[in-house]
Amino acid sequence: MVNVLWLQGGACSGNTMSFLDAEEPTVVELVTDFGINILWHPSIGLEIGEQVVDLMKDILSGKTKLDIFVFEGSIIQGPNGTGTMNYFAERPMMDWVKELAAVTEFTVAIGDCATWGGIPAVPPNPSESTGMQFHKKNKGGILGADYVSKGGLPVINIPGCPAHPDWVTQILVAISTGRIGDVLVDDYHRPKTFFTDFVQTGCTNVNNFAQKVDGGFGKRGGCLFYEVGCRGPMTHASCNRILWNRQSSKTRANHPCLGCTEPGFPHHDLKKGSVLKTMKHLGIFPKDVPTGQSKGLYYLRAGWEKILPTNKELTVSSK
Amino acid sequence: MATKELNISPVGRVEGDLDVKVFMEDGVVTRAHTQAAMFRGFERIMAGKDPQSGLIVTPRICGICGGSHLYCASSALDTAWGTKLSPNALLLRAIGQATETIQSIPRWFYAIFATDMANKKFASKPLYQEVVKRFAAYTGTSFQSGVTASGRPVEVYALFGGQWPHSSYMVPGGVMCAPTLKDITRAHAIMNQFRNDWLETTWLGCSIDRYLQIKSWDDLMAWVDENESQRNSDLGLFIRASLEFGLDKFGQGVGKYVAYGTYLHKDRYNTPTVDSRNQALINPSGFFDGKNYHTFDHQQIFEHVDHSWFEHQDPAHPWNEPLPTPVVSQNLENSDFNGKYSWSKAPRYMGYAAEAGPLSRVIMNANPNNMDHQIQDPLFGDIIQKLGPSVFTRTLARVHEAPRLYNYIDEWLSQIRLDDEFYIKPEEKDGKGFGATEAARGALAHWIELEGGVIKNYQVVAPTTWNVGPNDAEGKSGPIEAALEGTEIEDPHDPVEVGMVARSFDSCLVCTVHAHDQKSGKELAKFKL
Repeated sequence: MVNVLWLQGGACSGNTMSFLDAEEPTVVELVTDFGINILWHPSIGLEIGEQVVDLMKDILSGKTKLDIFVFEGSIIQGPNGTGTMNYFAERPMMDWVKELAAVTEFTVAIGDCATWGGIPAVPPNPSESTGMQFHKKNKGGILGADYVSKGGLPVINIPGCPAHPDWVTQILVAISTGRIGDVLVDDYHRPKTFFTDFVQTGCTNVNNFAQKVDGGFGKRGGCLFYEVGCRGPMTHASCNRILWNRQSSKTRANHPCLGCTEPGFPHHDLKKGSVLKTMKHLGIFPKDVPTGQSKGLYYLRAGWEKILPTNKELTVSSK
Repeated sequence: MATKELNISPVGRVEGDLDVKVFMEDGVVTRAHTQAAMFRGFERIMAGKDPQSGLIVTPRICGICGGSHLYCASSALDTAWGTKLSPNALLLRAIGQATETIQSIPRWFYAIFATDMANKKFASKPLYQEVVKRFAAYTGTSFQSGVTASGRPVEVYALFGGQWPHSSYMVPGGVMCAPTLKDITRAHAIMNQFRNDWLETTWLGCSIDRYLQIKSWDDLMAWVDENESQRNSDLGLFIRASLEFGLDKFGQGVGKYVAYGTYLHKDRYNTPTVDSRNQALINPSGFFDGKNYHTFDHQQIFEHVDHSWFEHQDPAHPWNEPLPTPVVSQNLENSDFNGKYSWSKAPRYMGYAAEAGPLSRVIMNANPNNMDHQIQDPLFGDIIQKLGPSVFTRTLARVHEAPRLYNYIDEWLSQIRLDDEFYIKPEEKDGKGFGATEAARGALAHWIELEGGVIKNYQVVAPTTWNVGPNDAEGKSGPIEAALEGTEIEDPHDPVEVGMVARSFDSCLVCTVHAHDQKSGKELAKFKL
């Protein structure tokens, strides 16, 4: 039996909604067959009022063992560091978070808000939101760069806006089946098993990317990197390997990847010209280039590919 | 197993925190105050940013209604920029909105509402055992199949939007996607499975066509008793148990209803303007004051902040409101209800508090002046006269929408023309825009003002703002506050009635109920619902 407490701060509940769409296993199977005991959750928890406060006190005193503390939503510190813009059970949520993080075996941050602040932390950040152990790309957050849970790990970050249900359920199953040792995390504390490949891995338009064939809204075929801001080549996530809602992914539906599993989403903080558009130098060169390549080398390589003839057979599309 | 009878059970109104303070006298609620307990400041974040920011940001206001926010955000830009919309674009947006809403019906009914009917308060009722067998959280026979079924319609959303929740596939000028034949055929097949696995089998116990013949309360009662299949369907059981448990006897509310309407007709909104919107709606808009229907006019909406934790402003239409400037908040225990006490504003229509939600929508469907392309369904015109509003009426309205939505989704899918346009690139310019829809839980609208190529002002009024908003400038209660007044609470240590009233509005906030004795002022109990 693995005890899970799931709380929400500055959240939209999108990660919970995504979680409820889980398929293998379903949320019900997680509980009935994988020994996940959800102590409380804002939308699927049974306890009410005083019972929740009692439960949290029991956890803090050690009477109830907390194996996994899941947090969804930003940690709201406003105004002026008081955290009173987000009360929970009569106290700033921020205070509950710090105390619970000190007693749990493992801490899991789900979604961009909990991992690095997400949209609420976009300047001017009216609620003084931050993430559990990162603020945007920088280590820190509410728990600090040096935090490790009792189980010896930093906050396990499962980013995404929202996170894919599988990324959440598989990590819960890994912990409940004693495979936490296999969960390796990268520099941003993301489980490598989901966040090593790029969104471009498995994208159905990868031939168009290679041959520099432009796509656009309302069109079939073509790559969205060049004009409408797709971030597939610089975003670590398995969206095109583990499909969404069993059916599709953003890029498969001709929707540019927004880069939501990377710290800093929404990238460029929504500044004019950055939303659903490729930002460019001199109107030609994309400001953001595929991860792992220098800009100069990318421009050189892409320039050649652009002037070489296209293999049309590889880029044909049909209704 | 560490604690209590816990395990896991769905309650909830997902997202955010709502506290409710209830004052009681002799077991009856005399006064209630709703308090929204979380602030993020999304409107302020968008100010000065890219005009299209709302397409990315606003779906993230609410993970349950993300598609609805997207419908509004794209429409607001359509009206501001004067875009052209192809029939395909209007169809695919309507399908997105409808699949999100129909998803919410079983998910909300089983995971959030019906488990309350298995509360021990009703243990002495003859139908209680059957209700527990079917609706109890996790163990109920319909619970898992209903929750699982709820994931199917949004698979259709994902075919066109890439994923649910949080796609941004609706953009000014149309949609991003250009579906192929297999997307359409697969969408038909997924919806067909939803119908076979849940809608006609578990839920109705009859065909959609048979159900849609119901035109009056008497018809509905006759339908229940028509045969065993209908009587014992989940809908049949819900109706019989609700009447037996008295769910039609409490939770009345303000008796005024607002709906912005939704589903813009594929051939009637190709040149989007604020003024032509009412005529283009399939699910009509309106304001019903309890006796008469009024044509919906967004200029009649004013937001009050006298009791909200924002710097003072006179009641104002959203286009004229300043960006919200927060002031210092208090927790429920230390709140003064004569002053500011909630992060929610208090919207008013023609000066009235009004209820938003499925009940408002189905009341508009009964308006005798509805046009040929609009829904014409007299059922809730009759029910509101015969039964009036209540926890039961509100819930019945919600679930009543599923069969009709199923038919519309199927029809709209069949109207998509694969050779025609999906997107017409617009020209960006400054100006004002208004976009609105009906989210699953009610009227949702965005107002935008663009200046110098960036967002100058963005205002969102959500259905939960309508329903959980605090008192207005004149001290008049918001809809849930009003609906709680007069509610009898049998056991103040387990005020399930308060939870049911709040849940019947599908407020998307977790509610803390603090029950106070009116005479001593002593706190009896605090409850997280």
